[in-house]
Amino acid sequence: MNAIRVHQFTAAIGPRDAVSHHTFEVDTLLRDLGYETEIFAQHSHPDLRDRVHDYRLHADLEADVLLYQASTGSRVGDYVLTRTEPLIVNYHNLTPAEMFDPWEPHVGAELDAGRRQLGRLARKALRGLADSHFNAAELEAAGLGDVVVAPVLFDPPPLRRSASIDVGEPPTVLFVGRLSPNKCQEDLIAATAALREWIPDVRLKLVGGTSSHRYETALREHAQRVCPGGVEFAGSVSETQLADSYAHADVFLCLSEHEGFCVPVIEAMAAGTPVVAFAAAVLPETIGNAGILLEDKSPTNVAVALERVLTDRELRAWLVEKGRARAATFSPERNRAIMREALRAAVEVCV
Amino acid sequence: MSRADQAEGICLVACQAVTNANADDSQAYVNQVRAEIEAEAEARRRRDPELQRREREIERVWIEVAPPGAAGDQGELLLDRADRLATIDVDVPLGAKPGIRQLKGAIRKVAYWYLRYVSDQVNALNNVLTRLLRRFDERLSVLEDAAGIADGGGLLDPIPEPDGAVAELVASILGAQTGRTVVLGCGSGVLVRPLHDAGIAVHGVDVDALVILPGVRDGLDLRAVDPGAHLAEARPGEFGSIVAAGFVEDLGPASAQRIVEQSLVAASNGTVVIVTGDPAERGIVERELRAGRGLSPATWAYLFERTGAAVELVGTPDPRFRTLVVARLS
Repeated sequence: MNAIRVHQFTAAIGPRDAVSHHTFEVDTLLRDLGYETEIFAQHSHPDLRDRVHDYRLHADLEADVLLYQASTGSRVGDYVLTRTEPLIVNYHNLTPAEMFDPWEPHVGAELDAGRRQLGRLARKALRGLADSHFNAAELEAAGLGDVVVAPVLFDPPPLRRSASIDVGEPPTVLFVGRLSPNKCQEDLIAATAALREWIPDVRLKLVGGTSSHRYETALREHAQRVCPGGVEFAGSVSETQLADSYAHADVFLCLSEHEGFCVPVIEAMAAGTPVVAFAAAVLPETIGNAGILLEDKSPTNVAVALERVLTDRELRAWLVEKGRARAATFSPERNRAIMREALRAAVEVCV
Repeated sequence: MSRADQAEGICLVACQAVTNANADDSQAYVNQVRAEIEAEAEARRRRDPELQRREREIERVWIEVAPPGAAGDQGELLLDRADRLATIDVDVPLGAKPGIRQLKGAIRKVAYWYLRYVSDQVNALNNVLTRLLRRFDERLSVLEDAAGIADGGGLLDPIPEPDGAVAELVASILGAQTGRTVVLGCGSGVLVRPLHDAGIAVHGVDVDALVILPGVRDGLDLRAVDPGAHLAEARPGEFGSIVAAGFVEDLGPASAQRIVEQSLVAASNGTVVIVTGDPAERGIVERELRAGRGLSPATWAYLFERTGAAVELVGTPDPRFRTLVVARLS
């Protein structure tokens, strides 16, 4: 009997990209399950082209099941819609277009088109996989009735550290994520500026590349004017540098208004860094009771929260312990086991 | 249930109860901490009015550096910003010492102010238009849903392409034709290939860029263009012959009439071949979902005959496309 052929599609594949990493992990799991599988993408990094095919070369091939990694609108999505094979959609969330409109209108238009495309994909797909209940609800609202929550596959930095603050170092507030309007880095800068009234040497470290040059320019000017010398734009970093960033951070702060899962929150918890976040989108679901969730992100409120976490040793220790326990529930082994079963069940629905 | 299963069940329930109790305790603790934080922030604001002023100042700076629409009230912001960025000094010593260097500096500042001002206005307009277009699109979708005509593409199978026998027949009909041939709704190029192989100057157009890819890879001249627009933009007499397939099955009567009229211009002395199935022979699903779209070969013949064209109906062996409409316009 021939092996079942599962062809995986995604818009783009690149190094140090969460959906790309997930796609490769899924590829491994599909092979473990005994399926024949290949990855097809519209854009792929030159270093990865031996593992990824141009989706246009797929036109003459046949598969038994198609699996689409949905994180943006794409030509690949249009292509998948033209195919007749049973479809599984693995949804990683789309940023609302309105958040990008003032900064990068063309990105807003792409996201808008992506959301419309998601509706068409949802109506065509037989099974949806979503990496949070928040995403599952969006996929169901788009028209897919059969959605299973299965985690995004990632490997947190293998770092462990004590709950104490580094002696002699200025307190560091960390955020990891691309500079992007939905992640509201301006609020992180504002909170740090407010905190400097009480802890003058506190600094904010922003790790991550940029989704909008215009947004980055505004953030830099904002930081220069309200928090001069207090904000470090670290840009995209290596795995080692990322682990170091978590290791030397005293608190992880996330004030995003839209996230689909937020892997860095779990990475911070795994690294023993207390988490303070704005209670929006998926963050209450991802963080659970293992972090401080704020319903008001005015600079003073956030600054008071940061000060409390930086100075209250008992609270710090509690957050570190709870955070590690929470992160353990997203361990790579457990995530892979859940995703493996979700993939097997999804393929069974299709063939 | 066995005793072992019962014991395991009891253990699981007990463990779950402990977990729930821990979760409840954690929830209570973080709620308490959050309440204390909010109370402390409020108390500090009351004690120190400077805090509120500082918050407003931080927000004002962000509104200044963010583009229109991204933050704050945008009412007067654009003009305010233009004023702030207008670094023109009305007392600039034009024509006075130290002379030309300062004049150049002033010109540079004026140019900077002007470009920034214009780009802000363009961005603001773009932002407004984007939002309006999105709302318009959403309202159209609601109307389409209500009218039951929304995005039938997800429900209907793609219109099939004719088989090779039909393609050979079309090529034989057009074999003696002079001038360039265009295949509107060419799909993967089934109708284009025999014409191409016969040495006829031919190209195909289809709205779906993905569908044409196999034909493009095989060296056919296929272009991702809307067929209706391609015909409408053609020069008078540009084509010796026109073949219309695929997309014609989604046209209503008015659109079909437009195709006829535009063909008379684009192939004024040439031949038009319509390759279409008969709506009366559609299955029940396609009949309902494609209702109101597509004309029978007989109706196409009638439309061309009204223009004075000589029309012939040619039978084919393909059950999906039993009859071709061949209209000679000269």
